[in-house]
Amino acid sequence: MRLLTSTRPGRGALIVSPSGADGEWAPLFAYVARRVLTTIPLLLIGTFLVFWLTAISGDPLARLAQLDVDQAAYDRIIELYSLDEPIPQRYGNWLVDAVQGDMGPSPSQGNQQTFDLVWQRAKNTARLAVPAFIFIAITAVTLGVYSAVNQYSKLDYAVTGFSFLGISLPTFVFGLLLQVVFGIWFFDWFGVRPFFTQGMRTVASDGWLDMIRAHVLPIITLWLVITAAESRFQRAAMLEVINSDYIRTARAKGLPRRTVILKHGLRNALIPLVTIWAIDFALLLGGAVVTETIFAWPGLGRLLLDGIFQQDLNLTMGVVVFIAALVVFFNLVADLLYGVLDPRIRYE
Amino acid sequence: MSETPPPARSSSTDVPVSGGALGNEVPEEAHLLDELEGIGASRSFGRQTWDRFRRHHLAVAAAVLLVLLTIAFILGPILSPYGFADQDFTALNQGPNVAHPFGTDTIGRDILVRTFQGGRFSLRIALFVSLLTTAIGTLVGAVSGYFGGLLDTLLNQVINLFLIVPTLVILLVVGVRYGATPNGIALMLALLLWPAIARIVRGLFLQYKEQEFVLAAKAAGARAPRIMFRHILPNTFGPIVVNATLLVGVAIILESTLSFLSVGVQDPTPTLGNLIEKAKGQIDTKPSAVLIPGGFIVAITLCVNFLGDGLRDALDPTARKS
Repeated sequence: MRLLTSTRPGRGALIVSPSGADGEWAPLFAYVARRVLTTIPLLLIGTFLVFWLTAISGDPLARLAQLDVDQAAYDRIIELYSLDEPIPQRYGNWLVDAVQGDMGPSPSQGNQQTFDLVWQRAKNTARLAVPAFIFIAITAVTLGVYSAVNQYSKLDYAVTGFSFLGISLPTFVFGLLLQVVFGIWFFDWFGVRPFFTQGMRTVASDGWLDMIRAHVLPIITLWLVITAAESRFQRAAMLEVINSDYIRTARAKGLPRRTVILKHGLRNALIPLVTIWAIDFALLLGGAVVTETIFAWPGLGRLLLDGIFQQDLNLTMGVVVFIAALVVFFNLVADLLYGVLDPRIRYE
Repeated sequence: MSETPPPARSSSTDVPVSGGALGNEVPEEAHLLDELEGIGASRSFGRQTWDRFRRHHLAVAAAVLLVLLTIAFILGPILSPYGFADQDFTALNQGPNVAHPFGTDTIGRDILVRTFQGGRFSLRIALFVSLLTTAIGTLVGAVSGYFGGLLDTLLNQVINLFLIVPTLVILLVVGVRYGATPNGIALMLALLLWPAIARIVRGLFLQYKEQEFVLAAKAAGARAPRIMFRHILPNTFGPIVVNATLLVGVAIILESTLSFLSVGVQDPTPTLGNLIEKAKGQIDTKPSAVLIPGGFIVAITLCVNFLGDGLRDALDPTARKS
């Protein structure tokens, strides 16, 4: 049984059947329930993998050694985090608590509840992820469709060049470049800093203009790399569709070009992109480690790095579970969206 | 990765990098003549591939630039009067000057030689990752595509797993301890990147195993390993080489990203990524120390991507649908 992977519609768990009455919700619910249930083993393996790798990759007592503490302190820490138990058993303990909604305290963050920390940081991340995703979706589709419809035009080459550059430019190089250009050079030339390059410190105190100034650069950083990849993908999907027979038929019977491209073409060319969107949006919401590091943004990505560097198992696991849940959820949403875009797809 | 830019006839007109400077410029009519001659006389696979490849001027230029960069990365540290770990306490934290064209870092090491040595380590890691990933991915993909069954299901589940737990998360978790040396990080990347290649090879094997030449081989009494590696594998050569090339770019980006997050290769061993990590604190006063290694990373990945694209045209002409 395949789950989650269907990079193409109609593959995997989706069953296309021409017959089947409209308005029957029961198969849909059954489909959703089955999809969620079959994901559980994968979630268990994935979380165990991360738990195990985190536990073997670092020594949580290493920091104590530098503090010159006595044996009692060691024993207390070992007792507190059950470090003397085998890893599978520790994972079991964590899992039993986690499924009851208790993600445990986070030692590296002053023992705050992991769940609260993750939720609070997730909101900060969403402030970047949601607008970035909207811009990505709009520009990727526009560029992809436009360059496919005008294949081999100047603009098509420009879009292709842009895609190549975006794919080849690592996020951190681009982010640092933006910092240099807008944080240093722009100030040298014009004496003003149009955007903030560090953090969201002004968000609470100042007006909406400052809020925008703080968000612009990280959003552009997130936008470029993903848009480059997606617009290329959209162009390929659109080319495949507009070279197909039913588009020729639609043109031949004299439909306006706009209708043919947008209604007959785009609607079908969007289906493969929806899968990519699901993954990209989930990963955006799961925290952008690099972008948040560059712009000192207190989001989930930074939280994950903190958890890993501080050997904070509860914190690391909390963020990982959150990301995994996002991926599962948005993949499910994508599968359901196929049905909206292509009414032939039934969930059985 | 599915779509590639239009055929190379464009690159000579739109992009200033033309084949002329590289001695490969052939007028359009000459291509036609080549093509006509080719109809009568048979050309070898290698010859056809080369003819297709060299028309992709951008890819040829990228290949030449990559070779030049590699030579520079190897010769630079040899020719430089400084060693990449040598400290000069009389020249701390300098900007670009005559003695140190790229400046020095906070403990007086020459950034020029560190950049070239770093490029050498980064490229070495990337090549290692590409070879190892391709080897593992091809083997798993071949077996899973040819035999199907349990292994195939397992492969699918592994791919799903890496979707749920993103690669970067695992790399960060493991990299803290095991990614500190060039070989360690290369091994880590290869162990995480192979499912992508395996999926491609699996798809190709699924497609080829139903064809007549496989049936013929079976009828002649060939056993599974021989069919897989002598009969089917050569057909998958094109896509595998293209993806191995693109993997070099992926590996460079991932390696430098990990280094940037101070998870990767540790000081004093330089890579392009950890040079940027070291310099980013001084980005206000000395942006060149960030921009120069960054420029090298972009140059390498851009070249690798153009090269991969040219190779796709040359080796795998049917991949271009439109």
